[in-house]
Amino acid sequence: MSHVVGIDLGTTNSLVAYVKNGVPEVIRDQSGDALVPSVVSIGDEGTIFVGREAQRRLLISPSRSVYSAKRFMGRGIDDVRDEAALLPFGIGGEAGGVVRIAVAGREFTPPEISAFVLKELKHRAEEFFREQGEFDFEVDRAVITVPAYFNDAQRTATRDAGRLAGLEVLRIINEPTAASLAYGLDKRNRGTIAVYDLGGGTFDISILTVEDGVFQVLSTNGDTHLGGDDIDQLLMRLVLDEISGPATLVQAVRKAVIQAKVDLSEVEATDIRIDPAPALPNGYTRRVTRAEFEALIAPLVERTLGPVRQALDDAGLQPGDIDEAVLVGGSTRIPLVRQKVADLFGRKPHTELNPDEVVALGAAVQADILISGRREMLLLDVTPLSLGIETMGGVTSKIIVRNSTIPASGREMFTTGVDNQTAVDVHVLQGERELATDCRSLARFKLRGIPPMPAGLPRLEVRFQIDANGILSVEARELRTGIEQIIEVKPSYGLTEGEVERMLIESFEHAEADVEARLLIEARNEAETVILATEKSLRSPELDEISHQQLKAGELERIRTALAELKQVMAATDREVIHEKTHALNHATQHLAEVMMNRTVREALTGKNVTDV
Amino acid sequence: MTDPIPVRAEAALECRTCGAGAPVDEHFCPNCSRLLALGRHGDYFSFLGLPRKLTIAAAELEQKFRELSRKFHPDYYYNASPAERLASLERSSYLNDAYRTLRNPVSRIEHLLAIEGLPSAKSEEGTAKVPPDLLEEVFALNEELDEIREQRESGADAGALSVRLDGARKPIERKRDQHERQLQDLAARWDSQEQASAQDKRATLEALRERLLERNYINNLLATIDREAASLSAANLS
Repeated sequence: MSHVVGIDLGTTNSLVAYVKNGVPEVIRDQSGDALVPSVVSIGDEGTIFVGREAQRRLLISPSRSVYSAKRFMGRGIDDVRDEAALLPFGIGGEAGGVVRIAVAGREFTPPEISAFVLKELKHRAEEFFREQGEFDFEVDRAVITVPAYFNDAQRTATRDAGRLAGLEVLRIINEPTAASLAYGLDKRNRGTIAVYDLGGGTFDISILTVEDGVFQVLSTNGDTHLGGDDIDQLLMRLVLDEISGPATLVQAVRKAVIQAKVDLSEVEATDIRIDPAPALPNGYTRRVTRAEFEALIAPLVERTLGPVRQALDDAGLQPGDIDEAVLVGGSTRIPLVRQKVADLFGRKPHTELNPDEVVALGAAVQADILISGRREMLLLDVTPLSLGIETMGGVTSKIIVRNSTIPASGREMFTTGVDNQTAVDVHVLQGERELATDCRSLARFKLRGIPPMPAGLPRLEVRFQIDANGILSVEARELRTGIEQIIEVKPSYGLTEGEVERMLIESFEHAEADVEARLLIEARNEAETVILATEKSLRSPELDEISHQQLKAGELERIRTALAELKQVMAATDREVIHEKTHALNHATQHLAEVMMNRTVREALTGKNVTDV
Repeated sequence: MTDPIPVRAEAALECRTCGAGAPVDEHFCPNCSRLLALGRHGDYFSFLGLPRKLTIAAAELEQKFRELSRKFHPDYYYNASPAERLASLERSSYLNDAYRTLRNPVSRIEHLLAIEGLPSAKSEEGTAKVPPDLLEEVFALNEELDEIREQRESGADAGALSVRLDGARKPIERKRDQHERQLQDLAARWDSQEQASAQDKRATLEALRERLLERNYINNLLATIDREAASLSAANLS
């Protein structure tokens, strides 16, 4: 049977995990790395690179690379104009429609970019299962996590991304809740938990109770635009003010400040270091202490506490009522963040599980629950924001209130305003504000075919249904005549069914180029391995002696030439040439490798007794 | 929150899987044991297997909720037939609404009134006349609020006005507390009236409804005071 996985589709990094014999595990690549950077880069020939390779290309061709696409999921151009200014790729799209990301002369929607990342994770998992010797290694179903505070459009965009990647999305679940599932496995079986999740781009707080294996979310809150990215930008501004470098330096600065930020979680002071580049001939080094860093980011950390208090309030709890606090997301490695959380709840937060991996682990647990029918655990989540419709005077009428356990349903009755009116506009909204214009517009539709009647007589019913993914569907009908209207809800900031279909067809057309990209990466990885091994041999202190005694004349030169030639073609996109030169270097070093191996074996054998052999 | 699905409970449900009939309060088909479609259920108490009483132990409600969640949740019907998947979605949604409604003592009373056939206390919200019991307080409060507003607009010391506003809030809060107690007493009376005549029960329900209307009115008054307090603190800051 094909496999199901749990996927943490993050702003900065993504991961995939699965459950083996009841225990969740993240899937790593051959070098033991679990994180796939959520970066997509377009090669010169239109090939798509994802992950580490794309991250590397971000430095050399920033204008052909996209990162942080999650920030744009399910959003409109008007929402993102400000933050788009700081990014190397173009952000466009029609007013009131889906954001378009312009990169390398092509246009993508955020779900398409995310789909590339998901495809990479799917591929990684399939490779893993293949290596485990499984006959059916296909991965076709997944649970994907989203920030708890994602609205309907953002959730739908995530589900679309899954479909575009060839995955049946079993369930969309909230990141903090997923984390609690991962923790719940071997932790206490009852109590009140606060999950504080500060990731690359988003902040979430969820308050849960756990009892008899039922994980019930009481309330959730957050900020979909607050995370490690914002900390990076504060540091970047600090540096960019000092070097006033050109735009080409931005990615180098970004890389340098991220390194410094990571260092400062371990040490009291570090250097932000940028290597010399044409635009910065002398390079750049700047000392930054933890105290300075903490002063800089304190307002951002403080901003997380507002949603925390609101969530506690909504759950009817005080900070002291929390039995356990759990930290999730890479940004919770920052000592100041840990300190603030500890101060607020008056207890040391849990950090036993890797904060980068815990969400994917929980998603894998949920995937396992869905397909196995295991009933020991059950997750009851809530909808983060109220849902309603616009009524007379532009006022929001709430049909399902925030923090309602999902699935949830609700209905609202209304009527016509003028005689013989045969159609009414329905405007679906999400948010807490009183006025429709302050809420998120999710969709607009027209309920037609109302029989002509005096104003106020028709009984129009709008029904909302939120499914277990937190995604809304809407139905409307006229009750007096029993006439039911099938309505197509066109999402304001989402893709239509037709658009998703078209993108799926296009992705099949590009599949060949994508396979090509992967083969190229594999060729490069192989070449890199051979280069590293060769360079290591060439650094051997015994090289001179070996060369003199055991190598043929000119053999060492031939190796050096082959090495130089391979290094030269590494950046090329012609896979065949890389293969050829790798093969040539392999061939040239074959004899040297044998000689060195023999010496090692001989050395190993000489200090030992015959009986040991 | 919206009104519950109207009370028009059918005498029996038809199982979408095997076609057999089932009593309306059953969750699973007695014949084929599949999850039943919800139908037109209207009573949150009977759905949760609770007596139609206003005193509910929180722990008991939670336990019923968890128990039924484990029976209905869509997580456990992922591979089930479309009919059962739909039934799972409907029953879970309904269960969540029922739990939310019955957990809160006030929405619990509102639901009881609805299933006992009384008009909603919420529909008259805002349009209601001043309840006779509150006439005196409302009159005094409105006068005081007018004066505070007038003085604020002419730039009087906002701090002093805040103190005055707090003074005006006290009698209203006392009224609210009094009403809470009356509601509790009436709820206890309803719970003890199982064997009482239909007429006596009806009288209790009517009284509960009156108290709810007054309560809504009091809450609106408190909201008005809060708005004025916000204006005052804004004036104080500027």
